[in-house]
Amino acid sequence: MKAYKKEVQFTIWMTAAFILVGNVGLIFSIFPVDAMLFGFPVMYIVPILMGWFGVFLLTLVAGKIGNRIDDEIERENETLGRADEVKEV
Amino acid sequence: MEQSWQLDNPILGLVVVGATFVLFYIVGFISNRQSKSAKELYVGGSNVGAITNGLAMAATYMSLATFLGITALILQLQVPFIMLWIQLILAIPLITIIYGTSLRRMGAFSPTHFIRDRYGVSASIIAALFMILVSIMYALGQMIGIAITFETLLGIPYITGLFIFGILIVGYITIGGMAGATNNAAIQMVIIALMFIVPLAAIMKAIGASGWYFPPLLYSDMVPAMMDALPSFFDYQFSPKWYFSIIPALTIGALGLPHLAMRVYTASSLKSARSAMVWFAFILGLVFSATYAMGFVGVFATTTQGVTISDADADKLTIILNMVYNPEWVTALVIAGAISAGLSTLSGNLLAIGALISQDIISTLKPNISQRLNLRIGFIAIFAGGIASILLAINPPAFLVVSILWAFGLAGVTNAPLIIVGVWWKEANKFGAIAASVVGGAIYIIVSPFVFPSIVLTGHGVTDGMGLSGAMLAVPISFILLIVVSYITNRIPALSKKLTKQADIELIERIHGWKDIKPYRYNSTIGAGITVVVSAAVAIWALMPWGM
Repeated sequence: MKAYKKEVQFTIWMTAAFILVGNVGLIFSIFPVDAMLFGFPVMYIVPILMGWFGVFLLTLVAGKIGNRIDDEIERENETLGRADEVKEV
Repeated sequence: MEQSWQLDNPILGLVVVGATFVLFYIVGFISNRQSKSAKELYVGGSNVGAITNGLAMAATYMSLATFLGITALILQLQVPFIMLWIQLILAIPLITIIYGTSLRRMGAFSPTHFIRDRYGVSASIIAALFMILVSIMYALGQMIGIAITFETLLGIPYITGLFIFGILIVGYITIGGMAGATNNAAIQMVIIALMFIVPLAAIMKAIGASGWYFPPLLYSDMVPAMMDALPSFFDYQFSPKWYFSIIPALTIGALGLPHLAMRVYTASSLKSARSAMVWFAFILGLVFSATYAMGFVGVFATTTQGVTISDADADKLTIILNMVYNPEWVTALVIAGAISAGLSTLSGNLLAIGALISQDIISTLKPNISQRLNLRIGFIAIFAGGIASILLAINPPAFLVVSILWAFGLAGVTNAPLIIVGVWWKEANKFGAIAASVVGGAIYIIVSPFVFPSIVLTGHGVTDGMGLSGAMLAVPISFILLIVVSYITNRIPALSKKLTKQADIELIERIHGWKDIKPYRYNSTIGAGITVVVSAAVAIWALMPWGM
């Protein structure tokens, strides 16, 4: 049960996080900001930086957690008794 | 004054492009010498390392539009188009975490392979036909772009360029299969990145930008002059609704693109697929950021430096900037980069068409044909797909990039819901899948400006043309139909004989890595209910006035 819950929650939250960092423009269209960062308007450069480094960092996290969940599923599989394997629902 | 942009010395361009072609042929031939099975042809034996795969993913995704179309749309739409483009980087990461690793575990050749095992033959053939349409539209865009590049820059007549280079390209893809395409795409990614970013650095240096040594991000010293000359450049222009519509149209749309998903299946292991996604994000972010810089520099050059680019030449912005500021041999290298970008995408499209026709249609209808015949059909299908895109390109449609982006939405409506819901919800069945794909696809096509120009949602040409408004309506409808129709038909006893419930349940547990079956897994009615409610809200919002 634990690994299954983790898998579902990981997928939902990770998907939401990816959509958020890839669509910072949407957030700024709702909450406009009139400021400059690194010489650019914030509303221009932040979506670009998040769309590169934000997504890149998330792929690192997603890769790590994804691998760990695979291992946990594998461990739960190993603890199965033979009688449990592929039974009728 | 109108100016015609063409290399003074077309031989130089031809020699550079010819040399890259020879390289691609050799790599394709060596890589695919041992393609003896369909698995080797379509997924490179599922044996591709993370770096090669990450680079190949990025190259497959980065079409000729990187060099030809995006910068033109930045010139036209300015910052909103950049905001739209940024989220395209989510494609491979989302495919990988939502369904890519599951389908890789299953050993699928294409997303339709999963749809066949999950929803049966009828649904998979409908999905395959839509995917072939998407892949052909995509391939057509590359073919047209390549021929236009040869025509306008090297002076080769459009039809001649289309046939000669089209057949050369189709030949190399057919010879190379997926192993060849993957190795070539990785090489092409390096060529694309170098041929785009290094010349951009030289252009920025010539214009006087102090950050020329890192073009993707260091051009802020041009911002004050830009704000003086064109204060509206950084304006968002559109409402939050427009920015939201990008998510169903392009973020979800990219999840349904077969040639991207197939890249995940080539990975040597699930761990390798996840590492490839990291490489993909890094390299794609680099080149995408450089593309925005190129668009910015283009607008800057036309507004402050006296460079004149007519509307008809807007597509060629990248190459024109090189012609203005760089020596001719650099422009020749940039053209080779543009052709490489077109080639890598085209090879992904044609391999997808080959897999769809031979594996998902012919093998589905005639499962008993021999492996040898199957492989031969695959080669013929790849070649035929290429020839079809050449023939369709004889009379090219306008708005190249716009129609490619419209194809994203079609994939998002007809395929993405089937795959996503199919992987995560045991109740999804073939009746729901067929209803979602057919009705959703029909609605998307009807509200597009291409079939009935008077039936559109916004009346804003580019928004309707790119499928932003259509997908915001049709994608949620597709999700609703899939869930509601499945839920109802599962409860009609007369239909239960036509469903393969037990096999579906076993498939879902297996592709998630489980060796046993538990009723509570992937069976959430609440999750399905929330999806229906959210989808209904989005669809209703899409029908309300857009104020554009």
